[in-house]
Amino acid sequence: MNKFNPFSLGKISFLLAILVWLALVTVDLIRIFGMINNLESGISEEITWTLELLFFSMLYLLYRHIYRKMRELDFLTLLWRGTSTGIFAAGAGFLTDLLFFSLGDSKISSDPFLKNIFYHLNFAFTSAFLISTTLLWRHLILYQRSKQVVNQWQVFEVMMGIALFFVFFNQNKFDYSFFFGLIVLVILSLLLSSNLKWIPYLNFKEKWKSLLFLFLIFLCASFLFYRILSYGNEARLQINLTDNLFLMGLFAFVFLYALFSFLVTLFNLPTSSVFEQKLTEAINFQKLSQSIQPEENEEKVLDILLDSCVGASYSDGAWLEIKSTLGSPVLMPPQGLDSTTQSALSKEISSMNHVASWEQDSGADQISPLPLRLSHDTFKTALLVPLLINRRMIGKIILVKEVKEGYNKEMLGIIGTFSRQACIAVENHQLLKQSLQNERYQEELKIAQRVQKALLPVRLDHSSAFTLCAYSHTADEVGGDYYDTYKENEHTYVLIIGDVSGKGTSAAFHMAQMKGVFQSLIQLEMPPAAFMEKANAALSKCLEKNHFITASIFRIDCEKKEFTHARAGHIPTLMYKAKEKKSALLEIDGLGLGILRNQTYQNHVYEKTYSFAPGDILVMLTDGILEGKNQHGEQFGYERIKNLVEIHHHKSPEDIQQLLILALHDFVGGDGIIDDDYSLLLVKFS
Amino acid sequence: MLQLEKQKKGKNDLLRLIGEVDASNSLILDQAIQELIQAGISTLLIDGNKLTYISSAGLGVFMSYLEEFKEKGIRMVIFGLNEQVIEVFKILGLDKLIPLVKDQAEAEAHCHEE
Repeated sequence: MNKFNPFSLGKISFLLAILVWLALVTVDLIRIFGMINNLESGISEEITWTLELLFFSMLYLLYRHIYRKMRELDFLTLLWRGTSTGIFAAGAGFLTDLLFFSLGDSKISSDPFLKNIFYHLNFAFTSAFLISTTLLWRHLILYQRSKQVVNQWQVFEVMMGIALFFVFFNQNKFDYSFFFGLIVLVILSLLLSSNLKWIPYLNFKEKWKSLLFLFLIFLCASFLFYRILSYGNEARLQINLTDNLFLMGLFAFVFLYALFSFLVTLFNLPTSSVFEQKLTEAINFQKLSQSIQPEENEEKVLDILLDSCVGASYSDGAWLEIKSTLGSPVLMPPQGLDSTTQSALSKEISSMNHVASWEQDSGADQISPLPLRLSHDTFKTALLVPLLINRRMIGKIILVKEVKEGYNKEMLGIIGTFSRQACIAVENHQLLKQSLQNERYQEELKIAQRVQKALLPVRLDHSSAFTLCAYSHTADEVGGDYYDTYKENEHTYVLIIGDVSGKGTSAAFHMAQMKGVFQSLIQLEMPPAAFMEKANAALSKCLEKNHFITASIFRIDCEKKEFTHARAGHIPTLMYKAKEKKSALLEIDGLGLGILRNQTYQNHVYEKTYSFAPGDILVMLTDGILEGKNQHGEQFGYERIKNLVEIHHHKSPEDIQQLLILALHDFVGGDGIIDDDYSLLLVKFS
Repeated sequence: MLQLEKQKKGKNDLLRLIGEVDASNSLILDQAIQELIQAGISTLLIDGNKLTYISSAGLGVFMSYLEEFKEKGIRMVIFGLNEQVIEVFKILGLDKLIPLVKDQAEAEAHCHEE
């Protein structure tokens, strides 16, 4: 693809413009020579016009290219470019005039060739100025593009294009068609001149500068226009390049737009501070909306809020009051006033009745800023801005002003919005902080869960005389249920199941202690009742005051086919007897561990020995299973477990356990939650 | 939900439990008993007629005062418990440590036996 390099395009058009201009000068000089000597030079006017047209086109291309490159520049720089071109063109014209004036009436001054060369030079500069300024106006007009503006501009460009060729039809004369064309162009220029949306974006200082530039452009254009007109009326022998509709149209457009811009800028001067204010407000609003980072604090947001409120309401002083639990609010360091004035004003404000009732209303969702009249010598008005976080008023911002009735409706509106936005930012920040902390707690709990899982045995000791399985579920991440096994020797095994009062983390700690007590005492190979006594003594030293542990312990002798059992406050164990095909609870008295924390405990614990036969089943539970409730508030209870074991007694312990848990879940119902820890240890003798 | 009602009848202080005692409200019960001790009571009758459920945390509260009551010579009797709640006390073995009787008259009689 043959693609033009934009850099070379600028250079090419510049070069071509100069070449065309030189050709134009040559052609015209030849024509003048012909005119003077009454010779037919053989060069028609049309050639001049064509070259002129080409020259305009080259300039247009050149400046289009230049402005495309300067798109990013600000308005003032662009205006300065236009102005400098104008000053240059006008200066050149002025110097020409000065030169001819100094030559006086000498012969050389009336030399048509010299005059025409200067005329052509001035023509070139004026054209360059007009075309460049037109393109500058184009840039400004199309600053905020809408379809309508773009269409208007396109129509204008087309009309200017037609005006470029107009000279061929009209033969360079001032006639009605010329005026008609000019009027059309003026109307279009007027239409375009209403597109002045770039002006409000200038600040006060920039507006002054642009006024100067626009004035200079206007001045230069007037001077150049005047010179062209006077030239037209002056010499006899001449080639008139400037009585051209295109050039006149450009003049009209440059004039009109400069004039309009000048006037609008001038009249916009007094209100420019409002526009600037709105812009700052928008920026402040954006600052407030940005969510606070977790490591930042809320005070930063409140500081921004304070500054925004002061700026938006032109307040003379302000401070932040944060409510404290100790009655009187905490006054933050004030802006624009000293602390004695601050405390005096604060006292006056808090003594007003309607302030109290306004603060009472803070339960409502919407509470707007409250303007007040003050009796202070300097500060005449105050505005209270509420800070509502999670529907609770955490404090307020107090703005004060030295004039009476200093706060209007717009200020109240914008300040209300500011404070709401800031409060939302603070709320979000708090939520974020909370959720981060929760996440950390969750993480910790997960660790606790893992550690606790490791406290329950993975491999259960068992022999050929019995098989067993165990299951444990915790209501929370960690729980207080415990079971364990110990192998004393080839034919003696100990099983234990326990339950710590309460649930959750405290229960989990006590459960860990229980494990320690079991694992150390059981090494001493003592009978169940003695174990409970020692365990009670040990746990009495470490359990919290209102906590206790219940436990059931079984010492199974596989040789004698019997087990000795002690129960310390634990729910009774269910035993299925294969011979009788019936199950029954192992009823035996026994006090929970940690209830009596002295020697008298030994009077409250007993042990009993039971014999077992193949097919007998022991179901050890914790109370979470029994207390599982259905929708009617009924408890799962022993009866259901009994029936289930009696029906499925021939199955393996794992299967029975599975059936039990399923039955429990069915009973509680799909949505029901078992809000307690529950564990299950099943033994089947063989 | 647990509601507590205190009543003073001569030498006897009565604490009525209405509703359920579980982990979430056992602290309220604990506080109430603590206040009674500070008031210098000598006999504490607990009315369990309207107690529908007690969890291990609730039992823990009663249990935690056994020793203190013994030291200070305060007698505690619980009366009017329904069977389900009595069962919970029995399983834990607390019935051996805290007298559980049928009604208030029996409870008062129990306090003045010795």
